Amino acid sequence: MKTRIFRIIGGAAFVLLAALQAFAGPSLIGNKNVAGEKIDATSLKSIFLGKKVAWDGAGRITLAVLKGGPVAEEFLKGAVDMSVSAFNNHWRRLAMTGGGTAPKSFEKEEDLRKFVAETPGAIGFIDSANADTSVVVLTPAP
Amino acid sequence: MNKISSSLGRGRAVSAFLLSAALAGLARGAVPIGDSNVQIGGFFSQGWLYNSDNNYPAQDKGGTFDFREMAVNVSTTLGSHARIGAQAFAQRLGALGEDKVILDWAQLDYNFNPLFGVRLGRVKYPKGLYGEALDLDVVRPYVFLPNAVYSPVLRDFSASFDGAMIYGSWNVAKSSIDYKFFYGKIPVSPQKGVSEFYNDSGGLYAAPGVASINIKSVTGGQLTWNTPVSGLRFVYSYSFFTNLASDGPFAQYPVVNLHFNFPRLSYNTASAEYQWKSWVFAAEYQTTGGDYDFQIPIAPASKGKYGTEAWYVSASRRLNDKFEVGAYYGDLKDRYTSNGYHSYQHDLAASLRYDLTEHVLFKIEAHRIEGTYQVFDTVRTTNPSPKESSTLFAVKTTLSF
Repeated sequence: MKTRIFRIIGGAAFVLLAALQAFAGPSLIGNKNVAGEKIDATSLKSIFLGKKVAWDGAGRITLAVLKGGPVAEEFLKGAVDMSVSAFNNHWRRLAMTGGGTAPKSFEKEEDLRKFVAETPGAIGFIDSANADTSVVVLTPAP
Repeated sequence: MNKISSSLGRGRAVSAFLLSAALAGLARGAVPIGDSNVQIGGFFSQGWLYNSDNNYPAQDKGGTFDFREMAVNVSTTLGSHARIGAQAFAQRLGALGEDKVILDWAQLDYNFNPLFGVRLGRVKYPKGLYGEALDLDVVRPYVFLPNAVYSPVLRDFSASFDGAMIYGSWNVAKSSIDYKFFYGKIPVSPQKGVSEFYNDSGGLYAAPGVASINIKSVTGGQLTWNTPVSGLRFVYSYSFFTNLASDGPFAQYPVVNLHFNFPRLSYNTASAEYQWKSWVFAAEYQTTGGDYDFQIPIAPASKGKYGTEAWYVSASRRLNDKFEVGAYYGDLKDRYTSNGYHSYQHDLAASLRYDLTEHVLFKIEAHRIEGTYQVFDTVRTTNPSPKESSTLFAVKTTLSF
């Protein structure tokens, strides 16, 4: 009986740890050519809402976003104070009325990271556990 | 004749539905073409309307499939700051639109920085919360935006203008203020929905109606305050037309021409929207108005006043990934004429939206409409004896890509 309880507790702990490991928190990533750009919370919001379209010295900004999931929800809530649904509607409205170029959207973080790494001026977000040296991790000033 | 027209309408509707189904399999969202910066997007919708008593907003008493919209847009970036794009659009609302393809917007946009940008060409007309997104089913649960402020009959009059716009955004503490100022001209013609306002029986012009309409200019601006309160924004929009002029056979004596002109006709719209969790609350108040003069040969010119007052409140809630519900109450009335129920329109609406996939949605909506203001009786939309109240049902499916 005791063995069974330990197995259940052990299994639950494993699932909990796996869940925690699966989502370490969002990281803002960029192409290496934007490493020298100054980003703060205000400019980050302007970038993801399509109000700021060019870097100071790194050309046009290309946005890359995840289509959904907890990483996208947490990042967009923090960066632009919107849910994924509200963010998508914001960009649908802009793209369909001539107000902006829609972000590139990705299902998989690996694909988003690869796109950012290969696209000058690109910026996006992924789970921090999935960031690597192919991109720069950006930390907006408060 | 009506039977033939009805059959054609059903035939087009079936074709449209099949096209919609075919495209649904291809839809993947607005995407770049290869490695280029070219993006393509668009939508296609097909609906069905039924009104119990009046032909409003189209010839829909007894049901009609003559209710659809479609658009395709292409855009690309030029260098770091410029963007160019265009959208073709077609619609049918009863006898309006006739599925003719028009240029909805086509513009060159140069964004110097977040504070200042310029758009040139055919530019979307900013008015109220949703004026630039009149056709975007995908961003709302409603089939029709509140008619009091966003008349579907005036879609072709309110969608875009030819001219220039400056725009930008200031960050002020924890809020921001977006601005847009514009000047241009709205392309109009007797074939467009706006002419229904002139062609109403007992009005200015004899059948078949107004022969020419022109606008000298439209000037306006919009300020949006994105407040420090999460999800709360206030919008104020103002615009005015100069010399909105029309000519046609005078209703009383069709052999003579009636010239009718608004030297200045203005729109004032104050709006608020609050997005809270899965809810969206909105309210808008709008007045329109201006002095007009009209003249027939060998008679002195006469003058008068025209104006409307309108408001609505709405609430919608996203229930889950699939379902969204919404409701609104709108009130529209004539500011200068009191003629019983012919001078107002009260509209209570309830909507249900179902998202089949990311790109395909369905909507169903019911309206209880009291009053017959702007329920026109024209050659294209007949209402010889409009009823005081009516019930409107609308069903619509939209594919966006």
